[in-house]
Amino acid sequence: MVDSKKHSHPLRPDLPPHIASGESKNRVMMKTCVAMCIPAILGVAAIGWNALWQILIAVATVLVLHFIIQVWERSTERMITYPSPSSPLVLGMIVGLSMPASSPYAVTVGVAALAMVIFKYFQGRVLYRKYINPAAASKTVLLAILSIIILFEDPLRVGMIFHPHHLRLDMISAEGFANAVAFYQTDTMTAAQSLIFWKTHGWIGGASGVGVLITGVIASYWIKLKWRIPLAFLVVMTVLATTMGLFTGGDPVSRIALHVFTGSVIFLAFFMATEPQSTPMPERAQYLFGVLLAVFTFILQLGGVLGGSIIALVVLNVFTPLFDKFGHKRAVGLGGGKHVA
Amino acid sequence: MRRYYEEKNRFRVDAQMKIGLEEIPFEEVPPPPVATVFLQQHVGPAGRPLVKEKDHVKTGQKLSDGDEPLTVPVHSPVTGTVINFADLLHPVSGEKERAIVIEVDGDEEWEYMEIYQEPEKQSKDKIVERIREAGIVGLGGAAFPTHIKLSGQQVVDHLIINAKESDPNLACDVRLMLEKPEEITQGIEIIGRVLGVQKIMFATRTSEGELPRLEKVLHEKNITLAHIRPSYSVGSERLLVRELLGREVPPDKFPPDVGVVVHNVATCVAVAQAVIKGKPLIDRGLSFYSRETGGRNLWVRMGTPVEHILQYAGLKPENFDRVVLGSIMMGRGVPDIRVPLVKSIAGVVALTPQDEAPFENPYPCIRCGYCDLVCPVDIYPSLLLEASERGNTKFIKKLNVEACIDCSLCSYVCPSAIRVNPKQRIASN
Repeated sequence: MVDSKKHSHPLRPDLPPHIASGESKNRVMMKTCVAMCIPAILGVAAIGWNALWQILIAVATVLVLHFIIQVWERSTERMITYPSPSSPLVLGMIVGLSMPASSPYAVTVGVAALAMVIFKYFQGRVLYRKYINPAAASKTVLLAILSIIILFEDPLRVGMIFHPHHLRLDMISAEGFANAVAFYQTDTMTAAQSLIFWKTHGWIGGASGVGVLITGVIASYWIKLKWRIPLAFLVVMTVLATTMGLFTGGDPVSRIALHVFTGSVIFLAFFMATEPQSTPMPERAQYLFGVLLAVFTFILQLGGVLGGSIIALVVLNVFTPLFDKFGHKRAVGLGGGKHVA
Repeated sequence: MRRYYEEKNRFRVDAQMKIGLEEIPFEEVPPPPVATVFLQQHVGPAGRPLVKEKDHVKTGQKLSDGDEPLTVPVHSPVTGTVINFADLLHPVSGEKERAIVIEVDGDEEWEYMEIYQEPEKQSKDKIVERIREAGIVGLGGAAFPTHIKLSGQQVVDHLIINAKESDPNLACDVRLMLEKPEEITQGIEIIGRVLGVQKIMFATRTSEGELPRLEKVLHEKNITLAHIRPSYSVGSERLLVRELLGREVPPDKFPPDVGVVVHNVATCVAVAQAVIKGKPLIDRGLSFYSRETGGRNLWVRMGTPVEHILQYAGLKPENFDRVVLGSIMMGRGVPDIRVPLVKSIAGVVALTPQDEAPFENPYPCIRCGYCDLVCPVDIYPSLLLEASERGNTKFIKKLNVEACIDCSLCSYVCPSAIRVNPKQRIASN
């Protein structure tokens, strides 16, 4: 008989599997950073060095706060919420790329800090998951705060994150819309061309709408992003813009250029609306998420809230647990298949 | 050069352990000094012991049997003396199970069954009884009694021989196809005749021309050779049926319920040996892997302790901290290096502390959805993980966890190094 007492060499009875693909959270984050470098480079090329400073400030703010939080967690012997800086790095880049280059640096620091401390760290530590997109939530909160501040000061000086004069724009009539987009016209490009190819205003990450579109498609394939969300979002935005253009008698191309290729739509579509933790898992729910994101964003845009996609995203993020409950694929073996020859 | 299996949504399973393994012939491992034979080596109730302590047993002698329909006998893999009955850790169930411990002594004596030189002249009942008497169970890993699969009441029109062997560490089935093509074909013919099926399909991941002898005999016997795409998950019985015939097997049913019987290629060899040679199931081929030795194909008797295999391979057992029996994707690690082999085990992987342990430090789920994308049965492992952590049984039910085939692909691709495996996780909760 085998005497178990003689056994002095216990083994680890691990559960399967015993090998892994080699993919890691850090690798996924670094791939996302690499993908975002393309819009960053395009932004700096289109807007200038100030765009680079904005990105670096946002990244530095987030990384410094990450370091401080880690030191505090270690000193108080708490579990480290984010052991690697890769995820904060992605957040910093998203914040930087979603800022206008003309934003005061203090505002960029504020958005990055709020995003990191409250909407990333607090959600991750206390709720064990990010229910809402940190960068979008942070910008939305600051937008609300600045909306109050602007009652007292020159909004263009304090904010640049939100332009109250946009609220007075007539985004519905053909004439009003033409006046609104004329701002983007340059010496060499029409407003539509500028919006689609090369803008010098708005979100740094959306400076080249086409550039972001191509990068986003490649990143979706490479990183396996939740591509159904940007697909549904951009298609519905295009359909709504075209319909609006035809309905009001304006130029549909200009409509598409503004409603689809503005930074707050095209950059958000690929790099914020696909944020994994705050978006639905079932495929059909992802499509619906994208459709509703488009509808809400479009309504806000028509109301003059041109960066309104972040608000729409935050609102929909809150309902992600509900989205997760429907639209599930049929599991193999559970009906629908052929059962006998 | 690395070798991969392609899964859904461009995920790949690394099959580098297989490289070169198919070219290595079986080596016969000598019997161990002490064999530990579990009475429970199949799905169904264990049999009653037919021997007692101090009995002398011959190789192939029946050690246990029972009257329950699902019970299959176990046979002595060695010649020796029964020295003990003990409750020992079972390599598959992980529980303590009854085992007969036999000390090898003297010259090997054999006790085989009557030889059926012309099996086609035997009645179906006689063949089925012989297969049961020989203790044959599915050798692909499930260990379901083969005689039950052959005597079902369902109308069966297809017999599929699963020679897909898609597990990243196994190549013993390919070796069987190279070394024993005649026995494979004989086994298929016996099974096909008992089932009375219209069509027999031989499913393999090998390419045309890789198995010339087998391909030739299969062609002569009018057995369809189906070359399956190189995918790990399609090796699953249920997915293989869908891949080949487009029929879906519900989670609470089995392939015969959709008119198909699936047998592993190694089971066909065991059937042929039992019927034509009278040999009970006392040994089998398996693939062994350790980083030091690389892959080897071994022919091992049931009841052989893993420790004995390591020593045979020239390795020091004390150098290893993990031993996986079966598939490296689906097999559990065993807690004791002396656990013996049972009929369902087709592989042994021995890992040292220097070998990677990729799931040691998991991160919280980031909901990347990779597990959902790769899942071959289209359930949502990510949502099941969340629901399981929250104890949301209602949602778990809605997510059809019963459809999970325990393939572990969800864990394999997880960037957060989480062992997702929904079925196991929910069962353990």
